[in-house]
Amino acid sequence: MVINNNIEKLAEDLEKQELEAPNGIPLPQIYAQLLAIYLYQNDLCNAKYLWKRIPVNVKSSNPELGNIWTVGQHMWKRDFPAIYKALNAVTWSDSVAEIMKILHEKVRSRAIDLIEQAYSSISLDMVAAMTGLSQDVAGAACVERGWSVEMDTHIIHPVRSNLQSSGDTSSEDQLYKLTEFVSFLEN
Amino acid sequence: MASALEQFVNTVRTLSSQGNYRDLCDYLSKSNEILIKNGQHLDNVLETLDIQQHSLGVLAVLNAKYNTPLVNATNENRFKQVKDFIFNCNGEQIRLAPDLFAELCHLVTANLTEQKQPIKGISLLQKAISKLQLYDSQLTSIHADLCQLCLLSKCFKPALEILDIDITGICQENVQGQSGSHFDAKYFLLYYYYGGMIYLALRNLDRALYFLEVAITTPAQEVSHIMLESYKKYILVSLLLHGKILVIPKYTSRVVNRFIKPLSQPYHELTNGFASNNSAELNMIVNKHNEVFARDHNLGLVKQVVSVLYKKNIQRLTKTFLTLSLSDVASRVGLASPNDAENYILHMIEDKQIYATINQKDGMVIFRDEPDKYGGPEVLKGLETQLQQCMELDKQILAMDEEIQVNPQYVKKATGLQEDEQPSKSAYAI
Repeated sequence: MVINNNIEKLAEDLEKQELEAPNGIPLPQIYAQLLAIYLYQNDLCNAKYLWKRIPVNVKSSNPELGNIWTVGQHMWKRDFPAIYKALNAVTWSDSVAEIMKILHEKVRSRAIDLIEQAYSSISLDMVAAMTGLSQDVAGAACVERGWSVEMDTHIIHPVRSNLQSSGDTSSEDQLYKLTEFVSFLEN
Repeated sequence: MASALEQFVNTVRTLSSQGNYRDLCDYLSKSNEILIKNGQHLDNVLETLDIQQHSLGVLAVLNAKYNTPLVNATNENRFKQVKDFIFNCNGEQIRLAPDLFAELCHLVTANLTEQKQPIKGISLLQKAISKLQLYDSQLTSIHADLCQLCLLSKCFKPALEILDIDITGICQENVQGQSGSHFDAKYFLLYYYYGGMIYLALRNLDRALYFLEVAITTPAQEVSHIMLESYKKYILVSLLLHGKILVIPKYTSRVVNRFIKPLSQPYHELTNGFASNNSAELNMIVNKHNEVFARDHNLGLVKQVVSVLYKKNIQRLTKTFLTLSLSDVASRVGLASPNDAENYILHMIEDKQIYATINQKDGMVIFRDEPDKYGGPEVLKGLETQLQQCMELDKQILAMDEEIQVNPQYVKKATGLQEDEQPSKSAYAI
């Protein structure tokens, strides 16, 4: 149902639906989807305030909203093990299942990036906890990424990869801008 | 009774059809009383007027409706009428009575606030602003209303759409005032105060600081509560962002130094505590003034300041040490355990506030130099956008300068001065 690229557009749609809802209270599914999308975008501020503006009676009649926000709370504290626990604790309803799935993947890839950037050596326990994988799977994944593992002490040495940057502009565009700058500076 | 209303409808219709909107505005400003007196018949009046053709008349009637006490549960209906009006009215007509139009929006805002349904008005006011504005960067007093509704409903994205546009002009409301056209300073201050709060909520500290700065540097003769609260928040944001209070621009009016500073004493103490780099001392001050901070609703920000001091101290360590054990970090910064220190460092690495590597095997942190990042295409892009902003600014200033040069009052004063000077000069020569 949800495609990765369309998620921003979906978010916009949902925001609009919320504003136009009679009495300012849309269907619970709209809240749920929007909340999940904010989490996926790691836009925790907006997620927090969305949670705060959902009326109490809607929250109590739709426990799923609370479940999604539990994930958000742990994301706010950057408590990785708790995030995975909250993600796996419930089966998500159809309307949000897909978003929660890509959220799960995103959190894990964020954790891996962080480990790579922040640690020169780290215990396998910690890797497993931060990625939400079992020790065996985590260990195998580390080897796959080319990280060396000390078998006896269970210490892993991540290899830092350089973050590559993207975003080239066309040379024609650049030329146009340069002419503008020069003409500005000369006058 | 009814005949007065009949006459009102007829006048509105004739003047509208003649396109004589100036006279119509004058007439409307005088007929307010009649409309309020006949509150119960106003719906009938509305039915006889066309939203597009008689926008000004409808505007006056709706205003009157919001000024009369409610007759049993017609609030919903009244709101619907306003909504219908704002979405369909004739922009050209309502721009002739900006004060009335803004007044209607203020009334609606106050009403929604009272009803505790602020979110309902957001899209409405967005539309209203776009109807009243001549261009995107023009400030209207409705801006403040929209920000207020967004704050109350905790729904900030719609407000960002207007906040992100830098204001370059102000809508001349209150044309009818005796002292010529002016804009109520209250709404100007509120816009920047609310805007600052919204940016704060969304953790856009740079922008928040700018908005609060505009609020506290507004020329003033008296202390405004909005300015006082802005000043308090300005101190806190300044600490969060720069670790010290930024020097307030010279053009700030004197009331800030003379009255507002002494009124914010606890905040200045907090700053001194922060400057000591001693977390224990800072915590003591926070506890001492806890009540004040809580009363000002600034406790959350104060707590952030406390946590930022830990981070700042860790950052200072990177300047002295190349490697340090986690327990040393904890004891030097004043954190309870090496685990806390590791957590702080991990967060800071993710946020790119420090460059370091943690070695869990030995429990050490290795501080690294900032990677060289001044060669990539992003830097070029950043430079480009900054240059573009400078060019925009230059254009704005030139335009404003030109406007002053041709302003009759300025010309009169400038040439008048010369005339004054000339005789004295010649007298001197003789």
